[in-house]
Amino acid sequence: MFELRFHGRGGQGAVMAAQTIAEAAVIEGNYAVAFPFFGAERRGAPVLAFARIDSKKIFSKTQVYTPDCEVVLDDSLLDTIDVVSGLKPDGIVVINSKDKPEDIDLGKEIRTGAVDATSVALEILKAPITNTAILGALVKATGIVKIESIEEAIKRRFGEKLGAKVGERNALAARTAYDRTVVGKSKGIKKLETKKQWLPSYQEIPLGGVLVESRTEAGLIGPGSFIENKVFGWATFRPVRDKEKCTMCLLCWFYCPEGTIVRISDRGDLMTNYDYCKGCGICANECPVDAITMVRGKT
Amino acid sequence: MKKVITGDHAVAIGAKLSRVDVVPAFPITPQTLIIEHIADFVNDGEMDAKFLTMESEHSVMSAAAAAEAAGARVFTATSSQGLAFMHEMVYATAPLRLPVVMANANRTLGGPPGIWCEYNDSMGVRDSGWLQVYVEDNQEALDMVIQAYRIAEDNRVLLPVMPCLDGFVLTHTVEPVEIPEQDDVDSFLPPYEPDVMLDPARPAMIGAFMPAEYIMELRRQSAGAMESAKEVINEINDNFAKRFGRDYGGLIDTYRMDDAEAALVTMGTVTSTSRQVVDELRQDGKKVGLIKLRFFRPFPSEELKNALKDISAIGVVDRSLSFIGGGQAFNETRSALYGLNIPIINHLAGLGGRDVTETQIRKMFELTLRAAKGEKVKPVNWHNTRGETV
Amino acid sequence: MRIKDLPDENLFVCGHTACPGCGVALSIRNAIRILGKDTSVYVPASCAVVFGSTYPYGAWKVPFFHTAFENTGACLAGMQAAFEKKGKKVISVGFAGDGGTYDIGLQSMSGAAERNDDVIYICVDNEAYMNTGIQRSGGTPFGAWTTTTPVGSKIQGNRTFKKNLGEIVAAHDIPYYATLSIGHPLDFIKKVEKAKSIKGFRFLHMFTPCVPGWKIDPAKTIAVTKLAVESGMWTLYEVENGEKKITHKPGKMKSVKEYLIMQGRFRHMSPEDIKKLQGWVCRKWNLHYKEKGAPEICEIELPEEHHAVTEEHREMHGP
Repeated sequence: MFELRFHGRGGQGAVMAAQTIAEAAVIEGNYAVAFPFFGAERRGAPVLAFARIDSKKIFSKTQVYTPDCEVVLDDSLLDTIDVVSGLKPDGIVVINSKDKPEDIDLGKEIRTGAVDATSVALEILKAPITNTAILGALVKATGIVKIESIEEAIKRRFGEKLGAKVGERNALAARTAYDRTVVGKSKGIKKLETKKQWLPSYQEIPLGGVLVESRTEAGLIGPGSFIENKVFGWATFRPVRDKEKCTMCLLCWFYCPEGTIVRISDRGDLMTNYDYCKGCGICANECPVDAITMVRGKT
Repeated sequence: MKKVITGDHAVAIGAKLSRVDVVPAFPITPQTLIIEHIADFVNDGEMDAKFLTMESEHSVMSAAAAAEAAGARVFTATSSQGLAFMHEMVYATAPLRLPVVMANANRTLGGPPGIWCEYNDSMGVRDSGWLQVYVEDNQEALDMVIQAYRIAEDNRVLLPVMPCLDGFVLTHTVEPVEIPEQDDVDSFLPPYEPDVMLDPARPAMIGAFMPAEYIMELRRQSAGAMESAKEVINEINDNFAKRFGRDYGGLIDTYRMDDAEAALVTMGTVTSTSRQVVDELRQDGKKVGLIKLRFFRPFPSEELKNALKDISAIGVVDRSLSFIGGGQAFNETRSALYGLNIPIINHLAGLGGRDVTETQIRKMFELTLRAAKGEKVKPVNWHNTRGETV
Repeated sequence: MRIKDLPDENLFVCGHTACPGCGVALSIRNAIRILGKDTSVYVPASCAVVFGSTYPYGAWKVPFFHTAFENTGACLAGMQAAFEKKGKKVISVGFAGDGGTYDIGLQSMSGAAERNDDVIYICVDNEAYMNTGIQRSGGTPFGAWTTTTPVGSKIQGNRTFKKNLGEIVAAHDIPYYATLSIGHPLDFIKKVEKAKSIKGFRFLHMFTPCVPGWKIDPAKTIAVTKLAVESGMWTLYEVENGEKKITHKPGKMKSVKEYLIMQGRFRHMSPEDIKKLQGWVCRKWNLHYKEKGAPEICEIELPEEHHAVTEEHREMHGP
């Protein structure tokens, strides 16, 4: 049995990718299942999906804990999630990254296939939805199915819903990524400190789960504790303000859904706290004097 | 002071004496008298509570939960279809540990519609995390509302409590009831001061969306609270008995169980009638006794086991049907007595409000006594049901 | 208050998990900072429960309560009764979605309105059940794609018009009903402040675009809102003690087509359907602004198909 785990962000299509690899395996006469982690996350938030492929019927209904292959649709996830955790020693990581495998630090030297799927998606689909491109890389790196099967599966799944043209374009994204994928070995330098989770016993959890603001070993919990949830990784673009042009009309400050634009210098200036910017672009779009531009990548 | 009043009136007085803060209400027969009396108390200035006329039972329990979360002592009452309509909120209240007290006037849950006594309404929420106590007369109805607050608000429990009284048989029957003095109730029942509530001075988060990492522990916690409730119930029963002179036995009550060969396990008003039948049968030399199953949640497994271990046969009377053969009380009692090799049979009676008469109860004892003598008796007996023979 | 006078403190803190560009998050954040910290919040089942309070984390710096979907009015009533009984001065405020207000929560809301409970009911209207993955509600506009009004070969999009909730709420004869738009900050601030100052049942009806549900660019949340007002799809008015007043009248009415073309949920609409919707908008416009002169309907070019977000949504919202 070949097990896959997909790490993505809401909106990137990780679940669809898992379903499509399963369909491709079925096209080749195998048995496969794919399923999401049943969460309630939002666009941009980390998402998990799983797939299993075997030559015979698969009975396991649990999540995948020791995958053969780890698919990472967004390399910003590497900052917060230990994606190789549980990966089998001879496993492989397939990652959407501008870097070559030897320049990607996964905290472990491991076989890695890399492709800039975001660029492929922007070129071919005109949207940063990387799920079909990453499938091309997955096929190149693992050979778990043939590229023709994945193209067929994409055409079926996307074509049925969105029309043949969309299906073909997504198949092309997979093929393009397949051609551009480089397989090598990752770096294993960094030691990722995964965020501790507050996991109280039944004796410790407050009655009824009712929480007031409290500090635990795993950080703040209760009212206002989301402040420790840095969401910068959700953003593809970030706003940069031209101080010269800014008239301090404060529309961006009002319109920011995150509240991450703050008044500083005795209310005389503004600052964007990028820890909480999800890159929606409202501020840039609404600035009456075009003082804000959206820039791709980290600031 | 003694008053001759209905069960509903007694319950309303119990709520008044408990100095409740908020009463969200919606009418349903046969609970209506309860909220009508409370409305009278409030409008006459006898009771300092916010009386909210809600537009449905679902909203009643929603308002009750929210008021409780904001630190108020809350009372309400419902019945049957109303309890079913608020089902979602009944399940929402207990795990959040909001100690609401709600009387339920037991009534058949249709369809087809009927308004008379059956337990299939409250039995439907027996696994919601609420405590349930079934009373046999109007005095007990009043007393149990007061005790319910002490139990519900005890830090070892903090679960909602549902005193259940038989629709019409108690709700609309007048009998003498001793009304406790307000001062006595005040010294028995301290004001409700919850630790955490909706308070801007110290904001709490109540009812947040909860992932699987936490719910299992929360369920375990509720199970523990339900278990602790047993001790609290008995303790408060004794306290109450000392102060007011009325001892209800706690989780269960027993009647003439010394040297009994056959016993009936009963709930609600059937208990009351059965006491009389036991006396008659004892006069005839029959060794029979009675166990009153007062609390159905928490279920008094150990207490039943202790009370019944030396008996030769047990008959359990149910006023509602569980579709695994027999009623809920029968099945749970049998489960509690697992390991004791005693014949146990079920008597289904009074469904849909059909009167449970002395004749039927005598028949129940007769069948149970036959089982005690080793005769083969049907495990489930439908009494006074056309087409069935007992 | 002008924008610059608004308090700096976030009572709905950064790090919440709403989608980028979320109109609901934006509305909540601004409303709550005007209402201030002596506020207790009820949120029924909705995205706002999830992105504002996922155990053990929360964005609210004020008391937060949640139990179910259909009971905002009742929970506010209960909460407020407790505060009054205890002699506490706290504003009880609910943030319910359109599904939780137009549909499943209508009865409970009506009860609170009719009793004139001293609470603030805020409906954040994003015109569909977004938390469950974009299903039609009574607030969904005509023509809109949702997952329960899909664009099929036989039937395309929602076939009914948006319910006139404002009339229903105002018919309860409450002290204050107002419609708000996050694209009109001054009007927004004024209305929230006014609601805060009045006693009795106050209803703030906020127009809050949903990026994935409407298939819009997250940067366009405000732009879409402004166009909704300019096209007549949303009207800014208030009803105070029975008296209705327009609070913002757009200059020349814009064609509804301009509004529709910005949003993926309308892109399939046939010229006939657009005409039908424009007719409805014109009637509304004339009713609100008491004048004739809505523009003639232009034909809309059908756009080429786009990368639909249906599957993305499954992913975000679960199956």
